[in-house]
Amino acid sequence: MLSAIRPKSRVIFGYLLIPIVFYVFAVFVPLMTAAFFSFFNWKGGPNKTFNGVENYLTLLKDSVFWQSFGHNIYLVVASIIGQIGLAFIFVLIINSKLVKFKGIHRTFGFFPSTIAAVSIGFIWTMIYDYKRGLLNWFLALIGNAEAAKVWLNDEKLVMLLVSIPLVWQWIGYYMVIILSAISSIDKEIFEVSELDGANAVQQALHIIIPLIKNTLLVCVTLCVAGNMKAFDHIWVMTKGGPGNESMVMALYGYNISFAQQNMGYGSAISVGIFIASLLVIAGTQFIVKLVSEKN
Amino acid sequence: MANEYTRVAGKKSSSFTNNPILFIFFNGMLMIFSLSCIFPLIWMFYSSLKEKRVFNADIIGLPKDPTMSNYVNVLTNKDYHIFESVLNSFRTTIISLVLIVLFGFIVGYILARIEFPGNRLIYAIFLMGVLIPIHSLLVPIYVVFNSLDIANKWYTLIIPYVSFALPIAVFLVEGYVKSIPISMEEAAAIDGSSFTRTLFSIIGPMCKPILATVAIIQTFSCWNEFSFALVLIKDVGLQTVPLAMTQFTGQFTSDYPKIMAAMLITMMPIVIFYFIFSRQIIEGMVAGAVKG
Amino acid sequence: MNKKLLSTVLATMLAVSMLAGCGKTAAPAEAPKAEAPKTEAAKTEAPKADDTKAGKLAYKGEISIMHFSTSEESQGNGGSDGFRTTLANWIKAHPDIKVNENVLANDKYKPQIATLAAANDLPDVFELQGMNTKAWAKQGLIMDMTDIIKKSPYADKYDQSKFYPFVADGKTYGLPVLTGGTCTVVVYDSKAWKEAGFEKFPEKWEDVLKAKDYFQSKKKDTIAFGNSGKWQMNSCFLSTVGDRFTGSDWFHSIVEKKGAKFTDKAFIDALKFTKDAFASGVFNKDFNAINNEEAREYYINGSAAAFIGGNWDVSYIQATLKGKPLYDTTKFAVVPQPAGATASTNTQNIGLGFAMSINNKLAGQADKLAAATDLCYELTGKPFAEYVGKKYALGGLTKADVDLSAFDQFTKDFYNYQYVDTKPVDIYDSFVSSAVWDVLNTDLQSMTNGKITPEEVAAKAQKAYESNY
Repeated sequence: MLSAIRPKSRVIFGYLLIPIVFYVFAVFVPLMTAAFFSFFNWKGGPNKTFNGVENYLTLLKDSVFWQSFGHNIYLVVASIIGQIGLAFIFVLIINSKLVKFKGIHRTFGFFPSTIAAVSIGFIWTMIYDYKRGLLNWFLALIGNAEAAKVWLNDEKLVMLLVSIPLVWQWIGYYMVIILSAISSIDKEIFEVSELDGANAVQQALHIIIPLIKNTLLVCVTLCVAGNMKAFDHIWVMTKGGPGNESMVMALYGYNISFAQQNMGYGSAISVGIFIASLLVIAGTQFIVKLVSEKN
Repeated sequence: MANEYTRVAGKKSSSFTNNPILFIFFNGMLMIFSLSCIFPLIWMFYSSLKEKRVFNADIIGLPKDPTMSNYVNVLTNKDYHIFESVLNSFRTTIISLVLIVLFGFIVGYILARIEFPGNRLIYAIFLMGVLIPIHSLLVPIYVVFNSLDIANKWYTLIIPYVSFALPIAVFLVEGYVKSIPISMEEAAAIDGSSFTRTLFSIIGPMCKPILATVAIIQTFSCWNEFSFALVLIKDVGLQTVPLAMTQFTGQFTSDYPKIMAAMLITMMPIVIFYFIFSRQIIEGMVAGAVKG
Repeated sequence: MNKKLLSTVLATMLAVSMLAGCGKTAAPAEAPKAEAPKTEAAKTEAPKADDTKAGKLAYKGEISIMHFSTSEESQGNGGSDGFRTTLANWIKAHPDIKVNENVLANDKYKPQIATLAAANDLPDVFELQGMNTKAWAKQGLIMDMTDIIKKSPYADKYDQSKFYPFVADGKTYGLPVLTGGTCTVVVYDSKAWKEAGFEKFPEKWEDVLKAKDYFQSKKKDTIAFGNSGKWQMNSCFLSTVGDRFTGSDWFHSIVEKKGAKFTDKAFIDALKFTKDAFASGVFNKDFNAINNEEAREYYINGSAAAFIGGNWDVSYIQATLKGKPLYDTTKFAVVPQPAGATASTNTQNIGLGFAMSINNKLAGQADKLAAATDLCYELTGKPFAEYVGKKYALGGLTKADVDLSAFDQFTKDFYNYQYVDTKPVDIYDSFVSSAVWDVLNTDLQSMTNGKITPEEVAAKAQKAYESNY
């Protein structure tokens, strides 16, 4: 079967060569360089001293790093449910006959992901603002002014509050991806599933999800990857604070490298983030496989 | 919007009339979501008509006496290099997009369809790419680019933009290609069509929806990218829009309305582009799907 | 149809933008080549043309400079305006020298300059932050400017105390730049405090606590403060309060590594006071969630009776309030004396946090170095000092006479607060190492939220100090 369309190895090689060289150069060379730096005590500047795996030993014992790792996992979970879950549901609803202004939803929904994350963070900081923010204004409006809080200074809520803008901004992004994947499905299937009104949920689970499984897997991967290196929103909204209560790995690495100018340890953190992300991705792939095999 | 699609939908208009609660709930939910999505734009627009002090005193309210002074200032102050930066961003974004779509399509297709030793390895290598935490890798990136003397050139940013976007493009194309039937390619192969011809004249058009998606989502990440631009570009004449925006922030004070005015000016071309073409792109997706 | 149109448009844009790009880079790339022979020629004549003071520099070529005085910053910030003006004048006066300026906002400047330092690729001339001096000097990145400073045409006018943050092992590595402004000042509405029963701002912290009850009944915050950026509590509060408890010798001992510890009782007392002060309800409830820019708005719009911030906040408040009643009743005071603090009184932390520094790589290039040196002299010397003194009543490294009579009461009051009526002390984060302050600043936020104790904060700061400095 496949041999019919199989070109000569030379041709494949030729096609793959340029993109891969391009990619490896820009992506892996810096990572390798960082891996190299991570074995040095390097406070910036031309002099560095080799100190073996000491940076990694520090990393293993660094409570702030592990706290940040936990926050990243929190973001991953929130985003898989919030971004991909909601995006999938929204796309199904938009594609159904239940909804008006489909075009508006499709166009507007993507809009937040066109804005730089820094601006999104700023806008949401304004929403959470204690004295002037929309949230407390709204609470006062519905007569619940006592519930007003200094939101971003609340240690228990701060992770939830910073994850909301993150989730919200990228829903549209995943909507576009899922929409294009669903568009490859034969429309007949939708009509059949619509006919069954009550069973729409099951149809989605048993027909649509299996058909766009690959794309959803890509979405989950992107989502995990994106959140393991989350940075901008949190940098703008809380700088990781109060204290380190909303610190994430990338921001911590950035602080170590730039604010503290400990480039050697900062490089070790980058490598740590990379490895941690790799493990989490492998974990999610494994879970996804397990779940889909059961089904 | 998409005519064909609504016509199909029209046939079964009965299905939503028999569940008004669901109808209201779904429409309401989506409306709130869509409005929240467009709110930042509206807010940015009317805030950009305020003066800094007015804005700082009241962040949410509408401007009492709107002023165009921020716009005039942004457009006339030569220190800001607004036009140059828009041009630079355009150049970088467009060249990057062309390469992302082209490379992503080729690699994604090959990885999806052709078995060869190392296929999964290459896929895994691309997978790793999305995991690279760039913010803490800025120093190595600078060191590498600088030592090869390719930092601070007009093409500098294209290299990381294409590379860091490639994984997403490859995944999406790979996933998409796997979901389309293989029969077309087989027929073409039997007809004696070369691999290259099949790739570009048969598979290419079929992948239009996913390639359009890749292009859309990458346009904005290229346009908004900041970290690479910060470390790799020094020359004022080469800086992209996000770098130019930093001119509006002082050490201890930021002129937010002016930043917003500048953001709107620099976003204008791309937002217009999006609103005009999103109709066609999405119509294209839906139409492509009806053909199935 | 549409597709065709689109592709034509894209192709055209692509072509145009590529051409534009090529054209732009071609010019600067060629420039150094063309200049190179001239530089060589000039070098041989160098000994003869040693008359920098006359404004004639032998050097012809490029000089790269990096700074953070953006055009935005210069509107309302006297030091920044003075810097830009002086730089522009120097460029105009030296048409043979091509100055490659790289201007970034301060918060982008810091990571960028750190990256360049790490890559050993610093620009010829740049602004060095005090706390980087020791580390960068040790790395051989920055030039020992001790002799350059002695030879300066303005040397006799220099305020020698300003050099302290830029000294490592007895050598000085920079010419302090911009204007010396206070980092901690209480800005208060004298009218509101009079109504609360205080003729002027309380001198003792206990009295502030008494005033709090009055202002609470008026639904006002007593003092507005913003610390979401994490650095504010250190720069604009603890640095002054700490000195009241520990005295300056303690901090000098920290800087010179002569045995003082962050875990010393006096410093822990300062931390305890800070914790209590921020827990007492004197400050706005959201002090850890807003930054200083937002906090000063509380003062401006009247929802707080006072505000603690730095000189940069004062210049904003001045520009904003001008012409309003609050402008005339706004006065300045030092942070009231905490109970139990006996080491110093009436102090405020003031200084110059950045200095013009020269890349050590210029050491072998006499002419270029002479040009860079001349640029640094001017940016920190008389032309700058006279400009900011006359226009803003501000002072920098070089002393210049300021004719106060030309200014209004607000400016006079603030001038007297900064330079006459109070005792200057060091700004903590102009010294030591960013690694220590980053840890301490984060912990201060946790401490004022009640998460960790002053003792823990001190212990962690001490640990960071020992392993990074």
